[in-house]
Amino acid sequence: MGELEQAVLEVLWEVESPASGREVHGRLAGRDLAYTTVTTVLDRLVRKDVVVRERDGRAFRYAPRRTRAAMTAELMHEALEATAADREQALVSFVGEASAEDLAALRRALDDLS
Amino acid sequence: MSTTLVLGSLAVVLAGPLPWGLSRWSGLRRTPAAAMLLWQSTALAAVLAALGAGVSLAAERLRAAPVTAMDVVVAALAGAVTLVVLVRLAVSGHRTGTALRRLRRAHRDRVDLVARVDRGVSVLEHEVPVAYCVPGMTGSRIVVSRSTLTTLAPAELAAVLEHERAHLRARHDLVLEAFTVLHRAFPRWVASAAARREVEVLVEVLADRAACRTGDRRALVSALLALAGAPTPAGSLGSAGSLAARVEVLRDPRPRRLQSAAVALLAAAILALPTLLVVVPWLTGLHGR
Repeated sequence: MGELEQAVLEVLWEVESPASGREVHGRLAGRDLAYTTVTTVLDRLVRKDVVVRERDGRAFRYAPRRTRAAMTAELMHEALEATAADREQALVSFVGEASAEDLAALRRALDDLS
Repeated sequence: MSTTLVLGSLAVVLAGPLPWGLSRWSGLRRTPAAAMLLWQSTALAAVLAALGAGVSLAAERLRAAPVTAMDVVVAALAGAVTLVVLVRLAVSGHRTGTALRRLRRAHRDRVDLVARVDRGVSVLEHEVPVAYCVPGMTGSRIVVSRSTLTTLAPAELAAVLEHERAHLRARHDLVLEAFTVLHRAFPRWVASAAARREVEVLVEVLADRAACRTGDRRALVSALLALAGAPTPAGSLGSAGSLAARVEVLRDPRPRRLQSAAVALLAAAILALPTLLVVVPWLTGLHGR
């Protein structure tokens, strides 16, 4: 399901203007999906708040809330924020922000090891 | 009175002076697994001793033959304090757990939408190098940025990934969560902040050790240097002191079997104390009847 969600979102990123369920379905023709599967996935993306839905006559048009780059930047921001002290440890980072002394100590350790 | 007094004093020592002292003993990090055991047993024993003291005080007051109004009042107060401790822990546990799960799920869902998966690792297209993991019961993720893949040499990348896998394998998130719950429930009067900080350092040290076990120590240190040197947004405080402590331990990987055994023994003794103090008087009480 996750992979299909990614594919549907990628279609919306490509088309640039809000697309109907039919258009998205058409662009995923190679995958041999039922139309209802595509609308289900679109609705899931709306619930996850990554896609916005607007009414267009009797149907809906869908558009991504953010560009791919903006969404990536947002995730990166959360990941870097997670290293801040005294926050919920939602994400566990490999290494946080380093002071000049930390970096100097790392360089010394590296020299000793080589 | 004796059991209550002993349990009460034990709770005070385990909640204050002992963690305070342990957090100042930096050599403890050289035996990270035993140290982790000690921190966990100290925290658990402190909670057990505090609860035991309350229950035992109430029981003593109500058991002595002529129960006065004063006895009832004291017993009720002791019971109430014990209940408050329990409720605070439960509320803090629920809030922390729910918040963490929500944050992680929201982050993971979006990672799955934008990242390309490369050999089990989610890759974000970004020029700032990062590496982190999103822990979770139902599906954890290891996430790196494209720049991490291009900056690090293969051995360095392997060390980073092994470090993250160690976090996920050992469920370090649950240990951190437990200490966050304690800290939220009792933010003052007990050394819960020091305990949590130290446990944060220990999980990193343990993951570093795991990465060194399968790979090359030098690669891990140079990966730390490469990723730590990365620019981070202004205003974010790094996990204070944690990196310096990690380097200190990484420089000297000699096993300290004696210290390890002694610390593990201490951990077991500390956990056994409140249990024995509650169980033994109860057993002798049964015999006395």
